[in-house]
Formats: sequence, C-alpha cells, structure tokens
Amino acid sequence: MSNLWFLYLFFSALLIFIGLYCLLTMRNLIRLFIAVEIISKGVSLAIVATGAVKNSVLLAQSLAITYIVVEVSLVATALALIINIYKKNKSLDVRILSKLKG
Amino acid sequence: MVIQIILLCGLVIFSGLAILLRDLIKAALSLAVASLFLGLIFFRLGAPYAGVFEISVVAGLITVLFALTIALTKKEDEVQENRLVKVIFPLFFILFLVIDGLVMKSLLTKVPALPSAPEGGSFGLVLWKQRTFDLVAQVGVIFAGVLAVLALFRKTGKDEEKDE
Repeated sequence: MSNLWFLYLFFSALLIFIGLYCLLTMRNLIRLFIAVEIISKGVSLAIVATGAVKNSVLLAQSLAITYIVVEVSLVATALALIINIYKKNKSLDVRILSKLKG
Repeated sequence: MVIQIILLCGLVIFSGLAILLRDLIKAALSLAVASLFLGLIFFRLGAPYAGVFEISVVAGLITVLFALTIALTKKEDEVQENRLVKVIFPLFFILFLVIDGLVMKSLLTKVPALPSAPEGGSFGLVLWKQRTFDLVAQVGVIFAGVLAVLALFRKTGKDEEKDE
C-alpha cells in the first residue's frame, strides 16, 4: 500500500511542479490560470489518494467535492476578472498589470 | 497497477501539454482531457462521486468557461511568451523527476499522516453528518462567486452612454 501511496504522491508532486513552473515563467493571464487549475488537480489527487490508502476514502471524497465546488467558484470569478482586465487594457499580458502600482 | 500508471502518465502528459501548446483553445482542451484522466483515477481509487464531479464539473463546465473567455479575449497580437521557457522546461522537469523520486519515499516515512482506520457508513452519511459545516461553506462560496461575477459584469454609467 505504501508503494501505491508513493506513486500517487509522486505524480501529484509532478503536477504541482508543472503548475508552479508555468505560474513563475509565463505571461498570458489565461495560461497562468490554467496553471492554477493544474496545481489544484495535483492537490485533489493527493487528497483522494491519501484517503484511499488510509482507508478514509469517504471523508477524502467529500473533501474533494468541497474542493471542486470552491474551484468552480474561483474559476468563474477569475475568468470574469480576466475579461474585465482585457476590456480595460486590450491585452492579456500580465506585465501590463504592473502599471497598477501607486 | 499498470492501468493506474498509464492513467497517471496520461494525466501528467496532458497537463504538460496544457502549458506547452501555443493555441489556448488546444491548451484548454488538453486540460479537459487531463481532468478526464483524473476522474478515471478517482473511480479506480473507489471515489466515484468525486470522479463524477471531476468529469462533469471540471472537464465539462470549466472547459466551457475557458473556451468562452478565450473567444471573448481573442486578438491578433497574442501575448509573446519567452521561447527559452519552453526549451528549458524538459530540463527542469527531468531534474524535478529525479529529486521527487529520491525525496518522496523518505518523506513518506518521516511525515506523520492520518491514522489508518476503517470507516463505516455511506458517503451520504459522511457528507451530511460529519461534514455539514463544509456544505454550509460551499453554499456561501457559491453565493460569493455569483455576486462577484454580477459585480464584475454590471453596467457602469460609461457603458450605458456608449450603448446610447
């Protein structure tokens, strides 16, 4: 069982790494948000896999569902924000947002 | 075990494609395929409800939202990403793969995790009786999301003047 747990956490760490790499290096706002989604996939995989390995899959499942609902709400708000930013700046380049500083 | 490894590899490959593909629509679609793989993994882990949520909500609804946003923000001059970023990604990825393989195994033995104990009852019982507060919080989060979207898309005085 420990090997299985290692396998899932290994892959969830890889997903989190891909997301963090994209967040740190890319400039397109939509792509940055795709990175956030990838990180959230890694986290939900870790939650459910740990629950399954530790015989608490029902609890892990309910936590994963809560996490997905929060994620949807976050996505809707963030994409609305991105559309508003695009309307104002006519670009999705994250560097343009640095003009906001005082 | 082999099927699980195939599903996990598919998940990582399509997640990688989501950040490497140039076209944003293709990136969003590959994210949806990654969600599909994650849903199948949830099914195999004995978490069917989480799998259904993952496939229907994340692979379905969120992809539609992404596609809509990409369509609404399409423009000729795309954001130019640094080319070096995509070139050095495989190097960093392999480096992290090695570190992850070396560190994770020893980390699992050192970090105390949840105590392993069999749980009784059904999923409904756990969700409605044990995690009631989570459900209340979920309702709050959904309302907050709806209000935020309404606030972001409300018409201002300038917009009304433009319409006229």
